[in-house]
Amino acid sequence: MPESDAEGVRAWLRNKRLTIAKRELRVLGREKTIILALVIQLFVAGFSGFLVVGLVSLYDPASVEGLQIEAAVTGDASDELQVAIDQQDSMTATEYNSSADAFEAFEAGRAQAVFETSIREDRIQVILTAPEGSIETTLVVSEGQQALRALERTERTERAADLSVQPLELPADRGGNPYFDFTYTVLLPLLVFLPVFISGSITVDSITEEVDRGTLELLRVAPISLTEIVDGKALAMIAIAPIQAMAWLALLSLNGVTIANWGWLFGLVTASAVVVVAFAVATALFASDRRAAQLLFSVGVLLLFAAASFLPVNPANTAALLAIDSATTLTYLGVVATVLVAVVIAAGVRLFVGRVDANAL
Amino acid sequence: MKLRTRLRRIWRIARWEASPGSTSLDRRTLLAGLFLVVLAGSIVGSGLVFGFGGLSPNQDIYRVGIDADSPYHSVVEGHSALAVRPADPELLESGEIDMLVSPDGNSGTVTLTAEEDADTSEVELEPTSQSRISVIHAQTEKGTAALTTFRVAVERYNDRLMALEANQTAAYPVSVQLQYRSQQSLVDREGVEQPDDADDDADDADADDDDDADADDETDDADEDETTDEDDTDDDRDTGDRIDVDDDREDPAVDDDDGSLVDQLFGDGTASGSPAEISPPFPFSSLLLAFVFLVPMNFIIQAYGGTILNERIKRRGELLLVAPLTRLDIVAGKTLPYLAAAVAAITGISLAIGGGLISILAVLPIALAFLSATFVGAMFARSFKELTFVTVTVSVFLTTYVFVPAIFTNVTPIALISPLTLVVMELQGEAIGIGAYAFSTAPFYLGSSILFLLGVGVYREEDMFTQKPVPLKFLDALDARLRGPKSVAVVSALMIPFVFIAELLAIAVLFVLPIEVSIPIILVTIAAIEEVAKSIHIYAGFESDRFGRSTKMALLLGALSGIGFFVAEKFTAISQVVGLPELALGEATLTPAGVTPTATLALLAAPLALHVVTAAISALGAKRDLRWYLGALLVATLVHAAYNFAVVTIYA
Repeated sequence: MPESDAEGVRAWLRNKRLTIAKRELRVLGREKTIILALVIQLFVAGFSGFLVVGLVSLYDPASVEGLQIEAAVTGDASDELQVAIDQQDSMTATEYNSSADAFEAFEAGRAQAVFETSIREDRIQVILTAPEGSIETTLVVSEGQQALRALERTERTERAADLSVQPLELPADRGGNPYFDFTYTVLLPLLVFLPVFISGSITVDSITEEVDRGTLELLRVAPISLTEIVDGKALAMIAIAPIQAMAWLALLSLNGVTIANWGWLFGLVTASAVVVVAFAVATALFASDRRAAQLLFSVGVLLLFAAASFLPVNPANTAALLAIDSATTLTYLGVVATVLVAVVIAAGVRLFVGRVDANAL
Repeated sequence: MKLRTRLRRIWRIARWEASPGSTSLDRRTLLAGLFLVVLAGSIVGSGLVFGFGGLSPNQDIYRVGIDADSPYHSVVEGHSALAVRPADPELLESGEIDMLVSPDGNSGTVTLTAEEDADTSEVELEPTSQSRISVIHAQTEKGTAALTTFRVAVERYNDRLMALEANQTAAYPVSVQLQYRSQQSLVDREGVEQPDDADDDADDADADDDDDADADDETDDADEDETTDEDDTDDDRDTGDRIDVDDDREDPAVDDDDGSLVDQLFGDGTASGSPAEISPPFPFSSLLLAFVFLVPMNFIIQAYGGTILNERIKRRGELLLVAPLTRLDIVAGKTLPYLAAAVAAITGISLAIGGGLISILAVLPIALAFLSATFVGAMFARSFKELTFVTVTVSVFLTTYVFVPAIFTNVTPIALISPLTLVVMELQGEAIGIGAYAFSTAPFYLGSSILFLLGVGVYREEDMFTQKPVPLKFLDALDARLRGPKSVAVVSALMIPFVFIAELLAIAVLFVLPIEVSIPIILVTIAAIEEVAKSIHIYAGFESDRFGRSTKMALLLGALSGIGFFVAEKFTAISQVVGLPELALGEATLTPAGVTPTATLALLAAPLALHVVTAAISALGAKRDLRWYLGALLVATLVHAAYNFAVVTIYA
């Protein structure tokens, strides 16, 4: 019946727990701390983005326009090497008659790399000289390495008769971004789970501070139990974590990062928030004072998070698999399991809170 | 005598702070901690027992359709980022796999030619071997990335295969030596004789007979080119399974510490071997090790911030305040144990990872920055909740500020804005000049001292026990440093380390962008940073009614602030030591300040005039109210940016 439903919702909104939750959120808003938290996360996101751009521009020459490496090749195996170098997109080779000529070009800046080749004992020996301490160093070495590996493959094929096992053929490169997974496997889990951690940390502060300043006694004068107070606080903190996480995902997809399985990710974050906040409540009521509680909480969460990476479904990997759209049934089961764990832990912690003597705090 | 009494008092406070009664780690907390460790351990244990040991974060993110009898099956299976899926072309179309390695046929000559579909693209293998198979990837960014990862996996698989090969000459037909050489002028370097040297190396490669003679040559300039004796390489090759021994470090001093286990685990910078074995000079392992220094800082500042804020709750700090002690003594005493803990942690880590004195000296200013920022944060915060945010902000900001530039250690001098770069350099066995050390650490030392000074200024009853928003507290702290108009010039000068840090950060963030975009942004950003630094304390002074709100006073304060800033700015000349001005961005930042080019007297006076004028503009706004101040600040920034732009254009 819709009317009684509406009545139910209204009654629920007047709920004591929600009143506490709303008050918690108001305080957060007034202290502007939540804004600070968002700024921090934005900073993390910005710098990680910078990191990705930096890494890609260092290692993926295709994205650095105009960086063309000129290589000076000299010695017995020049022809073979030149063929291999010309296969590379961002490297061109010029043959020189002697090492002295090649190094002259290198020092005059006409070449950024010198390959001195010689054939000894049926092997090609190459001395690769790269510029020292310049922005091109890494690029020269990694591109030079690509060229030399191409040369190695060709030479191996020529010596195939002498090999007992044949190396596998290498498919041609299509310029895929080798750091494509960085966004999903590092940045996204970081942004998704940081709000969860922050929520837990605020919960510890919120409870221990009331105990410390004696304001919990004032609250207890009101007709409300400790469990209800804690419920309200926890509710507020659990609510803000998935909201922030979803905001980050929205920001990422605005930046062109395709994100799949939004609903599942939401469920994962919410369940994780429940687990972490419940853990925070338990530490806050258990430990003797704020410093101990805060220390216990942060060390504990880090430990548990590290330990969770040894489970078949670890949170960071699950978030990455969901977002990159490579999830399997096991991944979805993992989310369901997290939700179940969250329910059990939340119920357990509520039992614990019910047995705490509020007057002894 | 007087100093001794003071030191004794500081020592006593430090002892109180460190005594077991005040640190809250009682037995119950320790037991709970122990319980957590056991719990975490049992999760790890059960994970290992059931065989899910330590999944990498990118586990199974690319799905590859492949048959169990394909030669590539073990390649896909052996790479953590690749997951084996059924080789069904329909799955590729429905987006359930990212890549398809086609099933190879009965005679090993099957060419699977997929329909020239718009959604997929086919990659043909070079027809060099007897089996032809094809690889199709989904035409998405993920698909091409999957192919790139697959290539890496195949290369690694081949490397493992070849290592087992009996005929090593056929397996490794190419061997490489990697050496680095400066392209710039060869003067003032050890290897002035480099051109001859190059010939030597070439000969060396040409003929076996020369080896003995050349070996002597090479030991002479062993620190110039990273060559290893070739006979060694051959011996290793014959044993097949080759493990890199880091015998090619440049610095003999680093060679000695074979005892440090971690160092052996990931020795990087391999300079000779097969093409697969050389690696770019990316200081990955050193970087990871340097990061270890930052971990304990986070725990130390958490405890430190807590103890400072504890003093401020329920007026607990009042007892110390009424004692016959100066504020500086109290703060010093309360900080000492945490500083000691930080130094102990740094020294321990440095010993463990094989760093030396330079690592300790480089991380010390970082520790000071962590502590000072947390101190100021704890003095401003109204509640523990706020303190938590401040602590998180401090650690996130400082960690990124010191860690990210260090990634570019071997690439650009900008990396030196972070002291952590010095650690990475030391771990790699590079020499570090005194100029580089000063450039990296001076802003941290100065900045930390100034932050402590600001915090001590508000370590007084009227600020400690009142509830004010953080920005107002900040203004209070600035105001506490002001006495007469002249002190405005001093505070402006004290702002320089922060201005320097902010400007370097801006350079570091923007240097990836193309130069046409980054130069205008940097010019405006720098103008804004400097204008705020010159005027924020003037605003604080007006707000607390320290100065009369007259136009004359505003102009006086503006002029003084400009002069103070101008004088202190000259100290940024230290950046020349590390060659920062050679970078286009560095030049854009430093030229307007008159730091880089040698100029006539008129040009030397121009920055002074600029600073005085713009500071006066902001001061005029500051004497009215916040809105006027912000407006005036905007005008001053625009004037400053226009000046910057003009200067850069003239020099260009």
